[in-house]
Amino acid sequence: MLKKYPTVRYVLQRAIWYFLTFLVALSLNFFLPRLGSDPVDIMMAQSSFSSPEIRKQTEENLRKDFGLIVVDKQGNIQRDEKGNAIKASKISQLVNYIGQVFKGDLGTSFKNQKKVSEIIVQALPWTLALQLPTILFGWIFGNGLGALAAYRRGVFDKVIFPLALLMSSIPFFVFGMVLVYFFGIVWEIFPAVGAYSLELTPGFSLDFIISVAYHYILPFFSIFLILAGGQAIGMRSMGIYELGTDYIKYAKWLGLKESRVLVYLFRNAMLPQLTGLALSIGQMVGGALITEMIFSYPGLGMAMLTAIQTNDYPVIQGVTLLITTSVLLANFTVDILIALLDPRVKQSLSMDAK
Amino acid sequence: MFKLLKNLIKEPMFVIGSVLFLTTIFAGLLGPFFYTAAPEGMSYETPSSQYWLGTDNLGQDYVALLLKGLQNSLYVGFMAGIIATTVGTLIGLFGGFKGGIVDDILNMFTNLFIVIPSFVVLVLVSASWPEGRSLTLIAVLIGLTTWPWTARSVRAQAASLRGRDHISLARINGATNLEIIFKHILPYLASYVFMVFIMQVASGILSESAISMIGLGPIGEGSTSLGVILNTAKNNSAITYGYWWGIFPAAIVITVIVFALYLLNNSMEGVFNPRLRK
Amino acid sequence: MKFSKLTACGAFALFFAFLVSCEEKEAKTAEAKTSGYPRSETLYLAGSQWGEPNTFNPLVEPWLVAWPANDRFNLMYEPLTAYNSLTGSTEPILGTLVSYDAEKVVVDIQHEAKWSDGMPVTSKDVKFIYELGKRFPQAPTSYVGEFVSEIKVDTINDGVERLSFMVNKKERDNPLVILDQLQAIRIVPSHVFEKYLEENNGDFSAVKKIKCDERPIVSGPYTLAQYNNERIVLVRRDDYWGNKVLHDGALPVPKYIIHPIFKNNDAFAINLQKGDLDASMNYIPRVNEKKKDAVNTWYDAPPYFVPGSMHFLFLNNTKAPLNDKKFRRAMAAAIDYDAISRLALSNYAPKMKPGLIMPEGLEKKFYNEEEVSKHSVPLGDKEYAKKLLAEAGYKAGFDDKGNLKYSLGPKGDTLPTLLIKAPAGWSDWEAIVNLVVKHLRSVGIDVREGFVDGSQYWPALPAGEFDIIMRKPPVAVTASLPWNRFNAVMSARNWVAVGEGSMNENEGRYKNKRADELLDKIPLLLENEEALKSAYIELNNIFLDDQPVIPVCHLPEEYYQFSEKRWTGWPTDKNPFAPPQLPWVGSGINTLWRLKQVK
Repeated sequence: MLKKYPTVRYVLQRAIWYFLTFLVALSLNFFLPRLGSDPVDIMMAQSSFSSPEIRKQTEENLRKDFGLIVVDKQGNIQRDEKGNAIKASKISQLVNYIGQVFKGDLGTSFKNQKKVSEIIVQALPWTLALQLPTILFGWIFGNGLGALAAYRRGVFDKVIFPLALLMSSIPFFVFGMVLVYFFGIVWEIFPAVGAYSLELTPGFSLDFIISVAYHYILPFFSIFLILAGGQAIGMRSMGIYELGTDYIKYAKWLGLKESRVLVYLFRNAMLPQLTGLALSIGQMVGGALITEMIFSYPGLGMAMLTAIQTNDYPVIQGVTLLITTSVLLANFTVDILIALLDPRVKQSLSMDAK
Repeated sequence: MFKLLKNLIKEPMFVIGSVLFLTTIFAGLLGPFFYTAAPEGMSYETPSSQYWLGTDNLGQDYVALLLKGLQNSLYVGFMAGIIATTVGTLIGLFGGFKGGIVDDILNMFTNLFIVIPSFVVLVLVSASWPEGRSLTLIAVLIGLTTWPWTARSVRAQAASLRGRDHISLARINGATNLEIIFKHILPYLASYVFMVFIMQVASGILSESAISMIGLGPIGEGSTSLGVILNTAKNNSAITYGYWWGIFPAAIVITVIVFALYLLNNSMEGVFNPRLRK
Repeated sequence: MKFSKLTACGAFALFFAFLVSCEEKEAKTAEAKTSGYPRSETLYLAGSQWGEPNTFNPLVEPWLVAWPANDRFNLMYEPLTAYNSLTGSTEPILGTLVSYDAEKVVVDIQHEAKWSDGMPVTSKDVKFIYELGKRFPQAPTSYVGEFVSEIKVDTINDGVERLSFMVNKKERDNPLVILDQLQAIRIVPSHVFEKYLEENNGDFSAVKKIKCDERPIVSGPYTLAQYNNERIVLVRRDDYWGNKVLHDGALPVPKYIIHPIFKNNDAFAINLQKGDLDASMNYIPRVNEKKKDAVNTWYDAPPYFVPGSMHFLFLNNTKAPLNDKKFRRAMAAAIDYDAISRLALSNYAPKMKPGLIMPEGLEKKFYNEEEVSKHSVPLGDKEYAKKLLAEAGYKAGFDDKGNLKYSLGPKGDTLPTLLIKAPAGWSDWEAIVNLVVKHLRSVGIDVREGFVDGSQYWPALPAGEFDIIMRKPPVAVTASLPWNRFNAVMSARNWVAVGEGSMNENEGRYKNKRADELLDKIPLLLENEEALKSAYIELNNIFLDDQPVIPVCHLPEEYYQFSEKRWTGWPTDKNPFAPPQLPWVGSGINTLWRLKQVK
C-alpha cells in the first residue's frame, strides 16, 4: 500500500522498530538496578531498632509502601504459612512498572518519598543548562574548525589537527580537575565548586544570574574544548573524504562555483556528524555524572549517583528512562532527517521499494 | 602490504604515535619488574630525589604506583578492546552483509545497546556486583557495553561495500557469498577493523578511568589502575591541598596513551584511505 | 551563521526555563529572603545533610528527616536536657535534671518554656512524644516503652511540673538509657500534632506525610526559613524563651544559619579554606595544613580533635579461624596502630591503648592501666603475634620477597582468605584496611581487602555476612558511655545465628554469659562508684581476654573544624566554654551566644 511512498514506509518502519527497542530498553532499565542489594535491606541496616518485632514491622511497612510485597485490595499484607510477607515477583513488578510508565507515572523515590518526576524536574534544568550549550557550541565550533582544516589544509591543518587530537585524548574529568586546580585553587579566579554562591536565593535577581554565570565557566570549558577537539577531527576527515568523491570532482569538472561545491560538500559531510550529535545526548548524562561530581554541581548525574548509593530503584529507573527516551527520539529524528536530506539514502530507499 | 607499511613509516603522526605507544607499553609491561619502589614514606611527600613523583596518601612511591597502574589500565584497555571489536565486528559484518531481516534484528540489538548509554549500564552493573570487582570484570563489562559502536560502523562499511561496483561485478561473475565476504569484503575491512580496535582500546582506557573516578572501578590487591590513582587522589582532596603530583602524572599518562592511539588510528586512516593523505 | 543564532535563542529559552524551575523549589515562609542572606550575619555549618531535604516532620523515621529536625540537633526542636561531653554534666534546656537512681529519673520542666505560637511547653508535650509508641507502634520513639514504664507528673511550687520517668523494671531495667533519652528525644508541640492526628482521623501514616516545613511550631532558638536541594536556611527567633532563662537575655549572634548541602568531600575543604564555610563536622584530611587559611581545631597539635568514639574491625566469631580467640588476639597484636594514625588518619588518632575504655576524658576513671596490661596483648608487636600464632598451631610460609605464600590452621588445613569488608570510596577506612591487610599478612594471616559498594556494605552488617568488617557502631557521646560501647560490641541479648536474622549490635555474634550479666548490672550501679568501676574493669578484662572485635583507632565522635575568617570566639582547648562540637547539638549550642563577627 505504501510502496508508492517509500519515505513514509521507511518512517513507519523505523517508528515501529524504535518502539520495540523502547520496550526492551524499559525492561532493561527495570532489571539492571535490581541486580544489586535490596534497597530496604540498605535502609534497615543504617538504622537501629530496639527489638526484632519493631524491626520486622518497619521493614514490612517499607516494603508495602514500595510495592515489593503482595497486598490484597484492602491493602492487607498477604502472608505465607510461616507468617512472612509474600514478596511480589519481579514479573508482576515489571508489568506494574510498564503500566505506570505509560500512564506517565515514574513512581516515588524510596529514599525520600518524593515523586521521581519532581526529582527529575529539579535536576534536569541544571544538566541541560550545562550540557546542551556546551555540546551545541562545542559541536559548531569543532565542526567549523574541522571543515576549515579540511578545506585549507596546509599549515593551518598541521597545527589544528594534532592539537584537536591531543585535546580529545584528555579525559574530560581530568581536564576538569586541572581547571579546578589552576583557576579555582592556585589562582583563585573562578569558583571551584557549586552552581551559584550560597548566600544567594535562586530566582530572577541580577546577583543570582551573575553568580550562576560565574560558576558556569569552569564546568563549561572542561567539556567544551574536549568535545570541540573530537568534533573537529571527525569533520576534518569527513570533509577530506567528501572532497575526493566523484560527485565533487564531477561538480568541479562541470565548473560549478566554488561556494556551490562547498555547500554540497558540507551538507554531505555534516550528516554523519549530526548522527554523532544525536548519540552524544546519551553520553551526555554519563559524562554529566562525573562533571557534576567534580564541580559539586546539581543535576541528573548527581541525582543518579545518589540514587545508586541506596539502590533507589524508581529514581534510577526514572533517570535511565529519561536518557533512553531522549536518545531514542534523537536517533529517530536523525534517521528521518538523513532519509530526507541524503540523496544517496533516498535513492537506495526507492530502489528497495521496487 | 609492505607498501602500506612503507607509507606508514613516512607518516610523522604514525612515527610519533608508535614511539609514544611503544614507550608506554614497555613502561607498563616491564616497569613494574625493573623499578624498585622506594620505601614507604609519609603521606603526600613532595617529589624529591628519593621519591621522583612524591608519595600518595599511604606514603607509597608514586612512580611504582603509576607503572603498576599503567600496566593494569593497558590490560583493561586491550581486553575490553578485543572483546568489543570481536563482538562488534561479527555482528556488524553479518548484519551489514546479509541485510534484510537478519540485519534488522541485529541492528535492533545494536541500537538497543547504543540507546541505553553504555556508561550508565557500566555504573549500574559495577555498583551491584556482589563480590568485589576485578580488573578483568571491569574490562569485560566495558567490552560488552562498547561493542555496538564497532558493530554500527562495521555494518555501515559492509553495507556500503555490498553496493559497490566490484562486489556487484563479482556477483555477476557468479561468486558465492562466502567468497565475496573473504575475497572482497574482509580485506577491505581488515584495516578498518584494526583501526576500530585501536579506538576501542583507547575508549576502554578512558572508560576504565571514568568508572574508577566515581569509585566503581576495580578494587582489591594489586588492581591499582590509572583511574584508581586519580580517584584516590581526589578522595584525599589532592586538588584542594595542592598535591599536584597526585593528579598530573596520572592524568598525563592517560592522555599520552590515548593520544598515541589516536595518532596511530589517524595516520592509518590517512594511509589506508589515500584521499586523506597529501 | 543562522544556526548559531538559533542555538543562542534556544540556550536563552533554556536558561529562562531553568531560572523558573529554580525559583519554584524554594519553600516559601515568612522569613524567607528573596535576594540573599548577608554574609556577615550568617553562620555556615555543614556536614549533616547530604541528600536533598525531604521532610522536617520530627515524627518521621529519623533517617528520612532533614537537618535540623532529625537526630539530636536542638536548634528547632529541643530536648529536655543537653549533655556536655567535656564536663560530663547534664545541662538544662526544656527541663532541669533533678535526680536519678535505679528506680526513676526526675526532671523539672522549665516554667517559662514556650512554643513559637506562645503556648507553654508542658508535661503534655513530653508525654505525647514519650508515649507515642503506645498509640502507634511504628512511631520513631516506640522503643522508649521498654525503658520507661510510666511518666508521673507532680506539680511543685509555683506550678512547676515535675516529671518522674519510672524505670521499666520488667523489661530493660536500665536508667542509664533513660538519661540518654533526655537529650536524644526532642519534645514536639502536642497541640499541633494532636490536631494533625484529629484532622486525619488518627491515621499516623497520613500525619507522617505532612512536611512541617511551613512556619513549623518550634521551641528552639532558630526556625526554618527556606530550603532547596543546595542548602537549608534557618533564621533566628528573637522571641526564643531561652534567651532570658538560659542566656541572661542575650540573643544568639548569627541571624541566619545556613547548612549548604555539598555533593563531595572536597567541597568542605575548599569552602572552609576560602572562608565560605564556617565550621564542619566531617573528616577533612591533614587539617593542620589549612591553618594558614584560618582553619582551626580544638587542639593546635595532634591529635587536633578530642577522641570520643572507636572504630573497629568486627570479626565473625562463628567462623573459623576467627572463632579461635588466640587467633583474634594475634590479630590485635599484629596491627601497627601508629602507622594507621600516621598514614590513614592524618594523626587524628592518639596513641592506641587496648580495651574498650578510653584512657582519657570522662572515661578515665574506669581505666585501670595495670589490669589492662595484665590482660591485653602488646599492641603493634609483630613478633608477639607470630609467637601467639605458632603456639596455637598456625603455620605460614613466605616467599623470598617476604610475601605471604600460604597459611595453615592447627590441623594443617589451608586457611580461607579472610576478606575485610568496607564501603568503597570511604577514603580513610579504605586506607585503614589497606594497612591492616599489610600488617596482618606480614605475620602470616591471610586477609585481603574486600571493598564493596555502600549498597552491599550496609545489608551485610546486621545479617552477619562477613569475615571481618570495618564498623563504627552508632554510639553517641552521652552519659551512658562506655556502657553503650560495650553493649554495641558484646551484647548477646538479641543473639541470632548468621542467616537466621539480623542483629543491630554485636554483629560478629560474640557470646559470653558473664559479659551479658555485667551489661545488665552496670546501668543499675549509677550511685555506687566503686562497684561500677570494678564491674567495668571486669567487663573490659573479658573483652581483652576474648578480643571479640579489634578496635583500630580512637577518633572524635564528630570532627570539629572551624574557620576564623568570618566568625571568632569558637571554643577550643584553651577556651573550653563549650564542648568540641558544632553549635547545633548538645551543649555545643552555647557557642552561638559567644561568637563574634569579624569586621
